[in-house]
Amino acid sequence: MCLRCLELTRRSLLVGGGAAAAALHTGVASARIRPADMVPLVGPGFKPTDEDEKGLWHDMDRVEDEIADSNLLITDPKITGYLRDMIGTVGGPAAKDFRIYLMRIPDFNAMMFPTGFAVVFSGLLLRMRNEAQLAGVIAHECGHFLRRHEIRSWRDQRRKTDLFSIGAMLAGIGGAGAGVYLGNYVQLAQLGTLLSLFKYSREMEAEADAMGAKLIAQAGYDPMEISTVWLQLIGEEQASAAYRGKHRQRGSLFDTHPSDDARMADLRADALELKVPGKVYNSYRERYLATIGPIRPTLLDDQVKLNDPGASEYLLQTLAQDGWNGLLRFYEGEVWRLRNRPAFHDEERAAQSYAAAVVYPDAPADAWRWHGIFLLKQGRTAEAKAALAKYLAMKPGAPDAPWVRQVIG
Amino acid sequence: MKRPTVIALAVACALGACSSIGGGEYGYSDYAPVNVRRVSVGDGSMSVVPPRPWNRRRDVLFDDVRAVEDWTLNGPLLDGITFISGLRSGHFMVRQSHRADQQVPKFRADMPPPEIAAMLESLYRVRGGAVDFQTLSIKPRPFLGANGFQFDYEHLDDDELWRKGRAVGAVIDGQLYLIMFDAARSHYYDAALPDFEAIVASARLRG
Repeated sequence: MCLRCLELTRRSLLVGGGAAAAALHTGVASARIRPADMVPLVGPGFKPTDEDEKGLWHDMDRVEDEIADSNLLITDPKITGYLRDMIGTVGGPAAKDFRIYLMRIPDFNAMMFPTGFAVVFSGLLLRMRNEAQLAGVIAHECGHFLRRHEIRSWRDQRRKTDLFSIGAMLAGIGGAGAGVYLGNYVQLAQLGTLLSLFKYSREMEAEADAMGAKLIAQAGYDPMEISTVWLQLIGEEQASAAYRGKHRQRGSLFDTHPSDDARMADLRADALELKVPGKVYNSYRERYLATIGPIRPTLLDDQVKLNDPGASEYLLQTLAQDGWNGLLRFYEGEVWRLRNRPAFHDEERAAQSYAAAVVYPDAPADAWRWHGIFLLKQGRTAEAKAALAKYLAMKPGAPDAPWVRQVIG
Repeated sequence: MKRPTVIALAVACALGACSSIGGGEYGYSDYAPVNVRRVSVGDGSMSVVPPRPWNRRRDVLFDDVRAVEDWTLNGPLLDGITFISGLRSGHFMVRQSHRADQQVPKFRADMPPPEIAAMLESLYRVRGGAVDFQTLSIKPRPFLGANGFQFDYEHLDDDELWRKGRAVGAVIDGQLYLIMFDAARSHYYDAALPDFEAIVASARLRG
């Protein structure tokens, strides 16, 4: 259910001996599941009929109420409408039943709940390079619902463990009466952990991959983009961990998922199989950027200011594969400024990035601000004043205008 | 409890993101009263006079940065004042593992006010769980007889509450002196702002 849970699971396969151990325990991955075999098990307007599933839906409705009311929701109608249209396009037979919520959380994650509502974190929008990538993630999540993975894995877990009453756990998490805020980032992470209790088998993951690829190919998106998304996610996790000199080990479900290599190979094979000769497949990059563009500075800000230099730098380099611009150069400067390690000459690197950023016509006002501040620190007062004056000209109502005016004199 | 957990909780409290740990029912409180008289804060290099009694978090439980001290009136979820007394260049204002994925930057003596404000913003984002942070103003303001600054801001935290804050500070002889007020934006900020202003006006360096 939780995209990140799955990813963490697979990542841990990469690190050290766990991979060999997992391979021994689980054997060789089964044959690839063909997209053509993926038939939705849910039709339009699906409602549960079994008592246990009805109970689960009842609890989940309360969770959805909490999420729908959250302060952390991004409610910009242009972007939420865009997401709604997208899940309405790649959602298969249940397309009109899905709900989708965008939460302002700077994390690479998306999840589908058992009743057919999806939660997308704003950090996901930042990391997608085009519409096809986003469609791929959403379609993968829809695939879990359409193949009834949530209820199947939940029943399976209950049979095997009988450890928890889902109603009681959800009441603790979703119930406002219990005095717990669902909107809390930590709470949401816990919800993800809870949802991972209904963990997907490797077969379900493979099914969701195949189903997702099929759904986006039918909608005219290039299905090859899905494997690129997974590569970006793995790369960022590795970069963040490597920067801090450690391996990231989270979750312990590593033995249930296929290896990254096998999954990539399957996703590529799916894509090749799905493409109909003569049909045009598109990534819709321009349309994506036009929609996300207005909030991209905010999304970058939320990520970079967490001061996770490994992840942020990897992310900037990934986005810059489509071309550097003033916005990306500015945030590169922010990464070095916040890292601030003299041994790596971060002050100089930040100053260079700001100086490079302001050359681009799309440089944000803040690029001029920090360019000016760093010139000031270097003692280049006249140039600093000119840069800060440019900043004020671009942003006359800047909150730090009184300080800037004092400096400019 | 493991040490990093204690430290994380201490910082979280400083940012108004957790309720009291420990608790009075065990016969011990994390807080000690501060009366209306001149009191030393942080490492003792700065002193202030509160206009009414406040509560100081005891440092017994916490192995935190010596130059930093936290007060509250109604509990750390609702309001708090943090004092930074003479933080030296190259030091962190919070204790953190060098292997933490996300880190609050070090203070550097050559940071101008906007960069100190950005460091504080990182503190709220990295350690306080702020998902939205708005700078309201950065302007010059004398503090402790030096050319200081005032930084006003507000932030939406992961408990879905908007909080508002004001920091007044100055870099003196390469060290950061700062008093920072942070409270729930509705009611509590306005209710304790006069206290904060009185405390800032009363601040003196040990001399």
